[in-house]
Amino acid sequence: MPHDPILILDNVSASYRGLRALQGVSMTVAKGEIVAVVGANGAGKSTLLKAISGQVATEGAISFDGKPLAGVPGHMITRAGIGLVPEGRRLFPRLSVEDNLRLGAYARRGDPNRFKPLDLVFTLFPRLAERLAQRAETLSGGEQQMLAIGRALMTQPRLLMLDEPSQGIMPKLVDAILAAVVRIRDLGVTVLLVEQRLVEALEIADRAYVLQTGRVVMHGTAKEIAANEDVRRAYLGM
Amino acid sequence: MTAAHLLQVAAGGLLMGLVYALVAAGLSLIFGLMDVVNFAHGELMMLAMYAVFAIWAINGTDPLLLLPIVAVLLFGIGIAIYHGLIARALSVQFNRGMVQIFVTFGLAIFIRGACQFVWGGDFKSITGHWLAGRTIELGGVFLPLPQMAASAICLAAFAGLLAIGRTEFGRALEATREDRDAVALIGIDRNRIFALGWGLGAGAVGVAGVMLAGFYYVGPNVGASFAVIAYVTVALGGFGSMLGALVAGILIGEVEAFTAAFWEPSLKQVGVFAVYLAVLMLRPRGLFGRL
Repeated sequence: MPHDPILILDNVSASYRGLRALQGVSMTVAKGEIVAVVGANGAGKSTLLKAISGQVATEGAISFDGKPLAGVPGHMITRAGIGLVPEGRRLFPRLSVEDNLRLGAYARRGDPNRFKPLDLVFTLFPRLAERLAQRAETLSGGEQQMLAIGRALMTQPRLLMLDEPSQGIMPKLVDAILAAVVRIRDLGVTVLLVEQRLVEALEIADRAYVLQTGRVVMHGTAKEIAANEDVRRAYLGM
Repeated sequence: MTAAHLLQVAAGGLLMGLVYALVAAGLSLIFGLMDVVNFAHGELMMLAMYAVFAIWAINGTDPLLLLPIVAVLLFGIGIAIYHGLIARALSVQFNRGMVQIFVTFGLAIFIRGACQFVWGGDFKSITGHWLAGRTIELGGVFLPLPQMAASAICLAAFAGLLAIGRTEFGRALEATREDRDAVALIGIDRNRIFALGWGLGAGAVGVAGVMLAGFYYVGPNVGASFAVIAYVTVALGGFGSMLGALVAGILIGEVEAFTAAFWEPSLKQVGVFAVYLAVLMLRPRGLFGRL
């Protein structure tokens, strides 16, 4: 069991669109870790992130930084320090890149330093700085993903959750985005990464959980999971 | 038909058109933000008119002085309507579209009935106020001061709405309108944004109502007649478009004025609806619509 946990799920179940998508999931994420959640399509990975961010009703207990999240509305979960880069990115398509980023700090109105994370975002993704005035919908898939991560960083999260950041973007950019995830962690943000690309995810993760039909079927260090015969057979076709 | 007469008609159309534009802007703001058509929009305007009338009847306070008070009152009523009715209507599981239509429709009937109960069914008018009966003459065109003031204040309120759109709050409104579920990811409470949107929409139509009370009769059906014009204005300008509401409001004002002047005053709305039908057939999304 990792020490200094920031996120604890205890026996969490959830239904999504009428289907039982999570069944008795327990997991722990410690401060400063990258934890990967892997599994096939429909294993419940996205529902897991929706459950943590308050978008689906859950049974069981989820606590963040020692405080229970039960009944806390989604926007308050964001303000508590959990940033989500959702499936499909969910940017504001007609707003400019700059507006999308600045809105990430909207909830911190009154804090004079609230736009400070912009520097970090532009260091991680210099392309965004070149496209500030462009509408979000005109960006390429990879750039949109960068913007979605940037917008989440503007909320100054302590836990950043990413839902399939490699989906629908060019392979070249996948590496750049995963490298950025490592840098974000190195700056002190804990990362929970849901990813279909098992090899790449396990490469950067410290620990991993394998989900199958809504249950945790395996967990351990990323090295252990990567070396596991069953996992390799089931997800890597080896 | 002289040029002066033409100018006179056009000026009248413009003055009324600016009032229509503000009424439509409030309707358009709410619709654009959350896809809810407020069928009680005209009744909110009527409520503002009755509020002015009631206070004036008690102590003779001039409508102009009541403008800020009644605007704030309507802003509060808009927020209360959102929290009390609309938020609930949005959370139903089945037939949400119908529930949304009938909740504001029912509210309209309720407000109309309540006003009729309190003030009776006859027309009231506010007389002897500061601007009443005064006109200015500009190059042979006579401009009644109450209408001048109404159009100027409505234009200013309109500019105020546009200015709000450029603030950070305006960006949050726009973001909520684009993806109401995603705003939680940036820590925005959409209920708060929706409620403020209702407050602004009701406040806008409240401003129009106050100014209108200076030269228009106050009665339980006055809201309905303006609401119909507001729907046409919004459809003509394009749903959700503020600029569209302004241009269409002026256009409707002119069509109405010219129909009344050159055809038959009692048929002035026929011209308006002819334009409406033409828009529906030729450009269903309106002049500036995004749909």
